[in-house]
Amino acid sequence: MSAGEENIATPGEILGDSSQFIAGKGTYLAPNGRNIHASLTGQRRLVPPPPDSAEKRLTVEVVGHKTRGAVPEPGVVVIARVTRVMARMASADIMCVESKAVKEKFTGIIRQQDVRATEIDKVDMYQSFRPGDIVKAEVLSLGDARAYYLSTAKNELGVVSAQSIAGATMVPISWTDMQCPSTGQVEKRKVAKVL
Amino acid sequence: MATGTLGTYSPSQSLERRHQQQKRTDFQEVDWARSDGRNFHQCRPAFLRTGAASSASGSAYAEFGSTKVIVSVFGPRESKKAMLYSDVGRLNCHVTYTTFSTPIRGQGFEHKEYSSMLHKALEGAIMLETFPKTTVDIFALVLESGGGDLPVIISCASLAIADAGIMMYDLVSAVSLSCFGKNMVIDPTSEEEACQDGSLMITYMPSRNEVTQFTLTGEWPTARINEAMELCLDACSKLADILRSCLKDNASELTA
Repeated sequence: MSAGEENIATPGEILGDSSQFIAGKGTYLAPNGRNIHASLTGQRRLVPPPPDSAEKRLTVEVVGHKTRGAVPEPGVVVIARVTRVMARMASADIMCVESKAVKEKFTGIIRQQDVRATEIDKVDMYQSFRPGDIVKAEVLSLGDARAYYLSTAKNELGVVSAQSIAGATMVPISWTDMQCPSTGQVEKRKVAKVL
Repeated sequence: MATGTLGTYSPSQSLERRHQQQKRTDFQEVDWARSDGRNFHQCRPAFLRTGAASSASGSAYAEFGSTKVIVSVFGPRESKKAMLYSDVGRLNCHVTYTTFSTPIRGQGFEHKEYSSMLHKALEGAIMLETFPKTTVDIFALVLESGGGDLPVIISCASLAIADAGIMMYDLVSAVSLSCFGKNMVIDPTSEEEACQDGSLMITYMPSRNEVTQFTLTGEWPTARINEAMELCLDACSKLADILRSCLKDNASELTA
């Protein structure tokens, strides 16, 4: 335990000098430009520089043992449940960020022009999503005060799981259709191509 | 003829007031014994634990003598819809006293300003730009108020924030000091605070050598303020070491 204790860094602790290390994740460079301080509680790790760069210094980072709750950031893939579908946008509750569940949901919206990549002006929102669908989307931006902007405009994004009108979980047939296994009815959705 | 004596009377103070005045003159003497046996420049022993509230993102419990505080941190979570968009994260602090925390029930409501003082002490230490648009809620509950409440709340809150994994520039430690005429007493208890002439509280980030909050109240002989500040800063550095070792112990418990 003593070896592990020496490796644990706490916020504000000086990890090294900027002449020997680069500040990585969980660390920051002091305003005087010389010291590198930790900003999280966790294990201190040294990462060697990529072999083909001119950088000789190791990167020091702190891996939090208890990472903070997930927060959506631009560029990450999230799993959301659709709550409302309107003429030009659909509202969804973000439940997972990458593979981590959030403690309390965030609100996101998928606008008409972000549903798919082709023919974006001919999108019918009600034929792409229904309330209760689980969708995989990508965060476009932080959006406005009320919601994050999400996009499903890629092949692997879109509805992952949906319930039919009869109440059974539907099976995807194509990128626009899903079929109910008990009644055989085909419903239109923007389906994700899950490999 | 009845000779009535011309009576005059002189009221005498009640027993309680006489005791209080006796205490005040006691405090003015050069060496009086503190009720818990410490000397003037000795702080109370600290007991700290993280992970006290399992439902919160981060939490900490602190016991400094008879002052007991529990702080829970929630977040970063979505801001209320009514709030405007902000590029940086928001901090929301709330300090409450339980009704049984003071000897007389319900006296804690005099400290409504502690919430905003906690906010000012912490906002300089947290990297708000790492969680834009979201809010971090900090709830401090004082279970027993034994004097020096706000410094204990601040130190415990910074421990809870570190436990929640929110990025900070440094841990914040806080110490208060009371002035009784010529004497300076560090980490006062509630009875010492009631009779003090002046008080000084400093919240300090030791690794960066920066003060986030400096509160000076009451009557101070000017020459002593410098000395008081040095005492407080030294106590803050030592308290920060204790905070760090508490974090390390709890972190190694989790990984072990």
